Amino acid sequence: MLVLDRVSKNYDLGRRGTVRAVDQVSLEVLAGETVALVGESGCGKTTIAKLVLMLERPTGGSIEFEGQDVTALRGASLKAYRRQVQAVFQDPYASLNPRLRVAKIIAEPILAHERPGRAALRRRVEEVLDVVGLPASAASLYPHEFSGGQRQRIAIARALALRPRLLVLDEPVSALDVSIRAQVLNLLLDIQGEFGLTYLLIAHDLALVEHVSSRVAVIYLGGVVEAGPTGQVFAAPAHPYTRALLASVPRPDPDYLLPDTPALGEPASAIDPPAGCRFHPRCVQAMTVCHSTPPSPLPALPGSTEHVAACHLLEPERVEATRIPA
Amino acid sequence: MTAAPLLEVTDLQTHLHLRRGVVRAVDGVSLRIEQGEALGLVGESGCGKTMTSLSLLRLLPKGSGAVMQGSIRLDGQEITALSEAEMVHEIRGKRIAMIAQDPMTSLNPVFSIGDQVSAPFRYHGLARGGSALRAKAAEVLRRVRLASPEKRLRDYPHQFSGGQRQRIVTAMAIACTPRLLLADEPTTALDVTIQAQIIALLRSIQQESGAGIILITHDLGVAASLCARIAVMYAGRIVEQGPVREIYKRPAHPYTRALLSAVPRLGAPRGGRLTAIPGQPPSLLDPPAGCRFAPRCAHRMAACEQYPPDLAIGPGHSAACWLTAKG
Repeated sequence: MLVLDRVSKNYDLGRRGTVRAVDQVSLEVLAGETVALVGESGCGKTTIAKLVLMLERPTGGSIEFEGQDVTALRGASLKAYRRQVQAVFQDPYASLNPRLRVAKIIAEPILAHERPGRAALRRRVEEVLDVVGLPASAASLYPHEFSGGQRQRIAIARALALRPRLLVLDEPVSALDVSIRAQVLNLLLDIQGEFGLTYLLIAHDLALVEHVSSRVAVIYLGGVVEAGPTGQVFAAPAHPYTRALLASVPRPDPDYLLPDTPALGEPASAIDPPAGCRFHPRCVQAMTVCHSTPPSPLPALPGSTEHVAACHLLEPERVEATRIPA
Repeated sequence: MTAAPLLEVTDLQTHLHLRRGVVRAVDGVSLRIEQGEALGLVGESGCGKTMTSLSLLRLLPKGSGAVMQGSIRLDGQEITALSEAEMVHEIRGKRIAMIAQDPMTSLNPVFSIGDQVSAPFRYHGLARGGSALRAKAAEVLRRVRLASPEKRLRDYPHQFSGGQRQRIVTAMAIACTPRLLLADEPTTALDVTIQAQIIALLRSIQQESGAGIILITHDLGVAASLCARIAVMYAGRIVEQGPVREIYKRPAHPYTRALLSAVPRLGAPRGGRLTAIPGQPPSLLDPPAGCRFAPRCAHRMAACEQYPPDLAIGPGHSAACWLTAKG
């Protein structure tokens, strides 16, 4: 449904260099599935979301939606594309205009694309409010009259108003309290089942990603370091960064001991990313080759086609060399 | 006679008298922390965690009409009876120190790191003169594993990353070797790999200095990775407390159980529905009489109209729920 092919996005800072926010990212999203992008702050997850929403144009590469290159779209055809791709953002306190009533907030995207009659419009607003579990009376209230969880429901209703096919969910529950998160998450899963929606989920919470996504791409400093079916990536992470990420997640289990140094130091800057593998300065298994040559994606396990990781440790001759002789 | 506990809080109440009414931010909290122990104070936003820690330092916001009652004993000394001057010179920063919540806003952007980190030494008269203060600041920054601290004393907060700022804020808190550290969401703003580093740092500080820690967090995973005991707070009260193993393996209060099952866990089977807690926390302006979780509780019964007392379940493990009374 959605195919990103070697997409890059650079931001020129003039004398201070160039931010390579997204670098040669390839990604495929099938209809009806949930693909998750995980990574730490500043790794380029949100930039990828903006590129998919066509809020930013890529510096290189192509983005295809149902076989059509959307990076070339302009005017009416771009508008038609945006109708099918909607977004839910992280902070429902910032993403809803405090001066508009809920009815207006939800009607805005509809009015941008259609000219429905007043009664038809009201019916559609009430319909989507019902889908997200809010009463029709909510339409006449302002955002400040709702709690965080309810506001996120309003944001979801707005995203659904145009009956899109793809929803970009940028950290949809991380601003919410623990007891409210599960409500919103369950709602998103229900809606996906009911309307056959496709989700591109952007999150840093690995447990959440494991719970809801079918496939996952792990991003580090603008590049995909590992990708594959969620179950395989989480059960047998192949890239040292993925392993460090997974080991760093504190678990609600007193028997789980958090390792002291899962990854050394802190992420480098995307303005002047390290040569070779971008993760090598933090990697506990870095070799000489990692300092100079960027690794290309390789099967994470011999024969696996879907689960790939970009790491020199996976090159056949090295796997051979590190194998302990029988 | 056994040694006095590091901190004993009995029936602490902090009410904010506003024009709209009385906000019962902290409403009868009792806690006990042994020497060198780490306690996790877990709860959602607005449940009174931060107000509890501010009350321990008697740093309640001015003009909020805050009224505090109850007893707070530090090493057996009642600190609610101390004067403001005694709090300033003897307690705050010296015996109880706080690691601020957000390292992005808690450092002053117009003073150098050297100035800010040496402030506690200057203030409490532990060092005099520029070079002695700089040496002290560098030493404490080395203890929080900041690389080449001498060279960075002249740098300003914006020249440090989030993880480094958290280390700097931590250095300021441990400067005067306090007996008790209050860490309010010390890792919330950080990425997971950096969060793991900060948790490791707090653990080593605890082992090296023998200080007690109150870790305030909404993340059950973070609490489990550092704390020996856990207290779960809901709407201004502690609903359950006990050893970390008991709380996570045998949670007794329905709220604790709901919290534990509301978060997805790594390694759990995919796609199942999470157990959502219906409704939302009550307003502390007018909390329900009786058990405050009752309106959202699946096990609600007639007895819940009365607030349940703290009922013992096992050694050091208690919950404020009528269900535990029936066994």
